Amino acid sequence: MNTWLDWFRTHLHWFVFLILEGASLVMLFRFSIFHKSVWTTQTNALAGTVLQWEADWHSYLDLRDINKALVRENLVLQTSNERLRNRIETLTHDTNYVEQLMLNHLEAFKVIPAHVVDNSIRRRDNILTLDKGRLDGVRNEMGVVSGTGIVGIIYEVSDHFSLVLPVLNSRSNISCRLRGTNYFGSLHWKGGNPLDAYIDDIPRHARFRVGDVVETSGYSSVFPAGIFVGRVMQVLNSPDGLSYELKVRLSTDLANLYDVNIIDNPFKEELDSLHAKALPEVKE
Amino acid sequence: MLIENFKRIMQMALLFAVQILFMNHIHLAGYGTPLVYAALLVYFPAGSGRVGVLLWSFVLATLVDMFSGTPGLSAASLLVAAFFQPKLLQRLMPKDAIEDMHPTYATMGRWNHIRYFTMLLFIHHFLFFLLQSFSFYNLVDLSLSASISFGLSWMVIAITELMRK
Repeated sequence: MNTWLDWFRTHLHWFVFLILEGASLVMLFRFSIFHKSVWTTQTNALAGTVLQWEADWHSYLDLRDINKALVRENLVLQTSNERLRNRIETLTHDTNYVEQLMLNHLEAFKVIPAHVVDNSIRRRDNILTLDKGRLDGVRNEMGVVSGTGIVGIIYEVSDHFSLVLPVLNSRSNISCRLRGTNYFGSLHWKGGNPLDAYIDDIPRHARFRVGDVVETSGYSSVFPAGIFVGRVMQVLNSPDGLSYELKVRLSTDLANLYDVNIIDNPFKEELDSLHAKALPEVKE
Repeated sequence: MLIENFKRIMQMALLFAVQILFMNHIHLAGYGTPLVYAALLVYFPAGSGRVGVLLWSFVLATLVDMFSGTPGLSAASLLVAAFFQPKLLQRLMPKDAIEDMHPTYATMGRWNHIRYFTMLLFIHHFLFFLLQSFSFYNLVDLSLSASISFGLSWMVIAITELMRK
C-alpha cells in the first residue's frame, strides 16, 4: 500500500500533466470553431469508413438470403409472365385477318375456343390433346380448326380434356373438294412431311390446276363446307390408274399450333340419325 | 513561500498584461506574434515542484487563451514545455549550483542559459503553431509563422534577461 502511494506521489506530475493537457485539448476542440470542425470532419470520416466496412460485411453475409429471395421472386415473376403472355396471345389473336375470316365463316356454328396442351407430329399416328372437355360442351366427332385451316376431328372426350385425331394421322379421313367445283375426295396422310397430304378419287375429267384451293366439302356433318385445307401442289395418278391423286400442301402447320376452335354443328345429330336411317336401305 | 507565490503572481500579471495589451497586436509580416508569456517558465527556479510548474503555467496560459480567442491552444502547448522544464533545468545547471538556483545568465553561464530558454521557447512555439494549423497542409505558412514568432519571442526574452542582470 505504501509503495503504491509512494509511486503515485513520485509520478504525480504525470497525472497532473495528462489531466491539464486533456482539459486544454477539450477546450481547444470544444470552443475553437476551426478545430471543432476539423475534429468533427475527421471523426465523421473515420466513423463513416468503419461503418462502411461493417455494412459491407453485413451485406456480404446477407447474400445467401437475398439470393434465395431472388430465386423465389424470379419464379413468381416467370410464372406470372407466362400467364400474362398467354393472355395477351388469347386477347390479340382475333386481330389476325385470316382467322377473322374463318370465324365469320363459322358464324352459324357454335365455336368452342381451346388450347393445344399436347402435340406430336413425328409419329405416323399423331394425337393432339386440347384443354376443353365434356364439361365445356365438347363431344365426339366435332371438327377442330385453327386460324389457318382444318386441324382434325375430336375422337375421345374426358371431363376437362379431349383428344383430336389430326390430319396427320393415318386413320384420319376428311372429305374435301376443289373450290369452285364439286369434285370431292378424301384427305389422308401417308406420313413423312407434316405439311403434305393426299386426296384421292378425283375423276380424270375434272378440270383444275396446280395451286387450286382445296376446302372441306361439307358432306360429312363434322365440318361445314368451305373451310380452307390447302392448295394443290402436284397431280399424281392413283394406284389403280382410274383417277387422280392430288398432293396437297396443307395450310395449317400442325407443328406450330396453340389456339384452335372446336366446331359444334347443331345439325350434326339430325344428319347422323338421317344417315343411320338411310344407310341400311341403301347398303345392299 | 508566501513571498515566492506573491512574486509569481505579480510576474504572471505582468506577463499577461504585456501579452494581451501589447504582443497580441503584433503581426510581423502577417505571421509573427511573440508569445512572451512563455517567459514564466524560464523564471522557475531549480527544485520547484513539477506539479507546481504545471499548474502555474496552466493558469497563465488559460488566462491568455481566454483573452486571445484561442481556447486551450496556449495551455496545451505550454503544458508540454512546462512538463520538460524541471528536467531541462536540472541537466543544464552547473553541478555546484545551489539547490533553488534562479536560472539567469549569471548563475548558469551565458551559453547554458541561452540553450535553456531557447529549447523551452522552441517546444512551446512549435506545438502552438502546429496545433493552431492542425495540419501539415500549409507547411510553408506553418514554419514561417512558427519561426518568426519564435524569433521575436526569443529576442524579447533574451533582452529582458540581459536587463535583469
